[in-house]
Amino acid sequence: MTSSSLRVSRRQRWFKHVQRLPVFRKVLLGSLGVVCFLALWQLICMVGLLKLPTPLKVIADTWELIIDPFYTGSGNDVGLGWQILSSLRRVAIGFSLAAIAGVGLGMLIGASRVLYDAVDPILQVLRPVPPLAWLPISLAAMRDNEPAAIFVIFITAIWPIIINTIVGVQQIPKDYKNVARVLRLSRKDYFLNILVPATVPYVFTGLRIGIGLSWLAIVAAEMLIGGVGIGFFIWDAWNSSLVSEIIVAVIYVGIVGLVLDRSVAFAGRLLSHGDEAHS
Amino acid sequence: MSKPLPFIEIDHVDQVFDLGGGDRYIALKNIHLNIEEGEFISLVGHSGCGKSTLLNIIAGFQRATSGGVVMAGRQVTEPGPDRMVVFQNYSLLPWKTVYQNVALAVEAVLTDLSRAQRRERVEQAIQQVHLGSARDKYPAQLSGGMKQRVAIARALAIQPQVLLLDEPFGALDALTRGSLQDELMQVCQATGTTCIMVTHDVDEALLLSDRVVLLTNGPEAHIGQILKIPFARPRNRHDVLNHPGYYGLRNEMISFLNQQKRRPAAVVSAATTSTRGVLTLGFIPLMDCAPLVVAKELGFFAKYGLEAVTLHREESWQDLAAGVVNGRLDGAHMLAAMPLAITLGLNGQPSQPLMTSLVLSRNGNAITFSRHLWEQGVRTAEDLRAYLRRTGNRLRFGIVHPASMHNLLLRYWLAAAGIDPDQDVELLVIPPPQMVYHLRMGHISGFCVGQPWNSHAVREGIGVVVATDLDIWPGHPEKVLGVRQDWVQAHPHEHLALVKALIEACEYCDTIKHRPEIAQLLCQPAYVGCMPEDAHSGFVSPLDWGDGIAAAFEPRFHQFYVDRSPCPGRVEGLWIMTQLARWQLTPFPQNWLEIVEQVRRVDLFGAAARELKVVDNEPDRRPFALFDGVVFDPDHPLAYIEAAAIRRALDIQTIVPEAGASSPVTV
Repeated sequence: MTSSSLRVSRRQRWFKHVQRLPVFRKVLLGSLGVVCFLALWQLICMVGLLKLPTPLKVIADTWELIIDPFYTGSGNDVGLGWQILSSLRRVAIGFSLAAIAGVGLGMLIGASRVLYDAVDPILQVLRPVPPLAWLPISLAAMRDNEPAAIFVIFITAIWPIIINTIVGVQQIPKDYKNVARVLRLSRKDYFLNILVPATVPYVFTGLRIGIGLSWLAIVAAEMLIGGVGIGFFIWDAWNSSLVSEIIVAVIYVGIVGLVLDRSVAFAGRLLSHGDEAHS
Repeated sequence: MSKPLPFIEIDHVDQVFDLGGGDRYIALKNIHLNIEEGEFISLVGHSGCGKSTLLNIIAGFQRATSGGVVMAGRQVTEPGPDRMVVFQNYSLLPWKTVYQNVALAVEAVLTDLSRAQRRERVEQAIQQVHLGSARDKYPAQLSGGMKQRVAIARALAIQPQVLLLDEPFGALDALTRGSLQDELMQVCQATGTTCIMVTHDVDEALLLSDRVVLLTNGPEAHIGQILKIPFARPRNRHDVLNHPGYYGLRNEMISFLNQQKRRPAAVVSAATTSTRGVLTLGFIPLMDCAPLVVAKELGFFAKYGLEAVTLHREESWQDLAAGVVNGRLDGAHMLAAMPLAITLGLNGQPSQPLMTSLVLSRNGNAITFSRHLWEQGVRTAEDLRAYLRRTGNRLRFGIVHPASMHNLLLRYWLAAAGIDPDQDVELLVIPPPQMVYHLRMGHISGFCVGQPWNSHAVREGIGVVVATDLDIWPGHPEKVLGVRQDWVQAHPHEHLALVKALIEACEYCDTIKHRPEIAQLLCQPAYVGCMPEDAHSGFVSPLDWGDGIAAAFEPRFHQFYVDRSPCPGRVEGLWIMTQLARWQLTPFPQNWLEIVEQVRRVDLFGAAARELKVVDNEPDRRPFALFDGVVFDPDHPLAYIEAAAIRRALDIQTIVPEAGASSPVTV
């Protein structure tokens, strides 16, 4: 009697302790969510509410794709890893160009009231244009699939980068500017010691939005352009009615998008000291 | 030899903010201050009075709307490291460590030092504020006190000529604040840096400053008082707190700040000009009622919408004052001391809040002795003293009113010669036009009165002028436009129009070629009604003293406009209050700043002057002396009274006049 109640209370205490651990919260509860989601999916498909393969069937259908991502066949017939890498290469080129041009232009425009007023209407009109709307223009301009895809990435990612950089430059606290004025910092010193560090958090906010949009855009663009790439892989699978492959590819796309987003955020934290409250 | 230039001169700074729609907010008005090298100045005032604005102007972050700041002979146009700022919110760069924050300043400013020397300066500055252990920490890892230490180290490291501190310790807890104050004091004493600090901490100002500049509340904030802090340097907190003068100074500051809370709101808003314009103004037949007569006869009143102004000739100054107080008159040509004296409660009467926004005239008075006295060789105040001693007579002299400049100046003149104006002679109040009659009848042996009555006595051969006010206090305020405070509140537009019309009339009167025409106007029976030769003497032609010596024409003997004559300056108002108190005509107000601000409305004068596009600033606030050379320092009025050899007992009261209230509040 006494010993069993003791055991119960000890177990409860252990449970409470574990509950407080961040690992428990993140990993265990996260996994639980995934399992529940899969179970629900399985249930819904078995009942027949959706005409999709069940999770178990997806795994069974695509086992070869999953275990050999770097399979090399002929032409477009390559593993999922290659498809992803090929898409990532396009994103890397387009996004890097957008980052360089966007940050540079943003700083220029943010520093000049005149330039800002001149450019603002253009930014406001072009910013909400959906990525795919750029594709025909891009094809017309580039006359080739590969550069056209990269251009779509570039033009999609550049707006949030420019706009956030502008805001960052404009939002440099007056206190810091006053410090620069009273010390009569040279242009170079002001740029290196105040302008750049003060705008880093804003720039990385822009880059994070930009990389997300790029990844969004590439999948859609590749569906239309063709060739090796995760977008066309999905489209191809659809044409072949391989729904299980589509589902696996979509999961890959999601995971890669998440990794991209987190990497940019991590880089941003690293460069802006991580701990600074820019108040 | 001209005086050496001050290290920093804040030269008549105005700061006006445009509120849009034609409205303007005058934040700072006519701030004038000289600062010596190595001085520690505190700017103290209520929140929102414009202290920080002033500091920003000195720093160069902001340009004054008019006036400016000159430092070491060069005008301040932009911020620079010679005027380093310690900001209230520290303004450290969060991405730099303590060392890097200080180093950024040193590298940018001390470019002629070698790399090693610069590093040494940075380390030294960090050690100076005891932050060696936090050298490589980021600001986010520091407490508020430590952050402000870094800001001070950064400022001192570049060895600025001036350190500007904007409420540097305002955000810190009391203990930290205390130790930082001590550190700042030590460092400033060691380096001899000139400091200007904005604060609202009274004790902090007393501990650190050489002078405390007290600013009045906005709008139109200006310097109300400057306190010299006499504690010896090097100082420490303990000695300062135990100094016998500490609590007196502290009380003076607190009392100043409390008075500011009661400051009346400005009444006049510009824009509209709708005035009913039916006014009755009182005057006494004297040459210096000229601006009223000119404004009426030549249409200046009408020009500003005052269509029906009646000038009412009064029998005596008592009648005139009563007429304004009881509302029979809307305003009057009043003796300069009258608005102050009546507001303070003259001769124990209840306080009646009057005010003035315009000085109508300066000078124009003379002291006349009977020819009988003059022929016995009594021609100066010293002669008079000797005569009084020799004969033992208690002679009688005529004055026009207790609160007249004639009374105050005659008393000052007699007392300066060692004659007690209450015991050695007798002063009788006689209306100006009757003065000559009483002199002729031998009721009095002399008088002090305005023109033309001195010339009248001279012409009749019964009097000789022995002194004019040019010999006593040239440029003293003589007549003002006196009105009730509640009348101005009810009639702001009429009042503004009145002041504008009279400023123009004053300018007209001071144009010498207009004088014969004006004299002719004044000779009319409805106004002064005197003989033209009396009117001309001193006004158009040289003043005939009656002593047979030809005098030169003194254009300033009647002064209406030149030298900012119409501005009702506060310093001269304060002098008048010292004399009213010296002779126990009124109590001396504990809250003298408040009284002088309420009665002598430089702000309302300025509003009118700005609409006329003429100079709206009051003359500089600085000590001055009358003919005997005794200096009146507007920061120490009580000392001035107490230093007088001949005076009555001093009665100090706090006087809170409220419009409509009829009894003084005595504390």
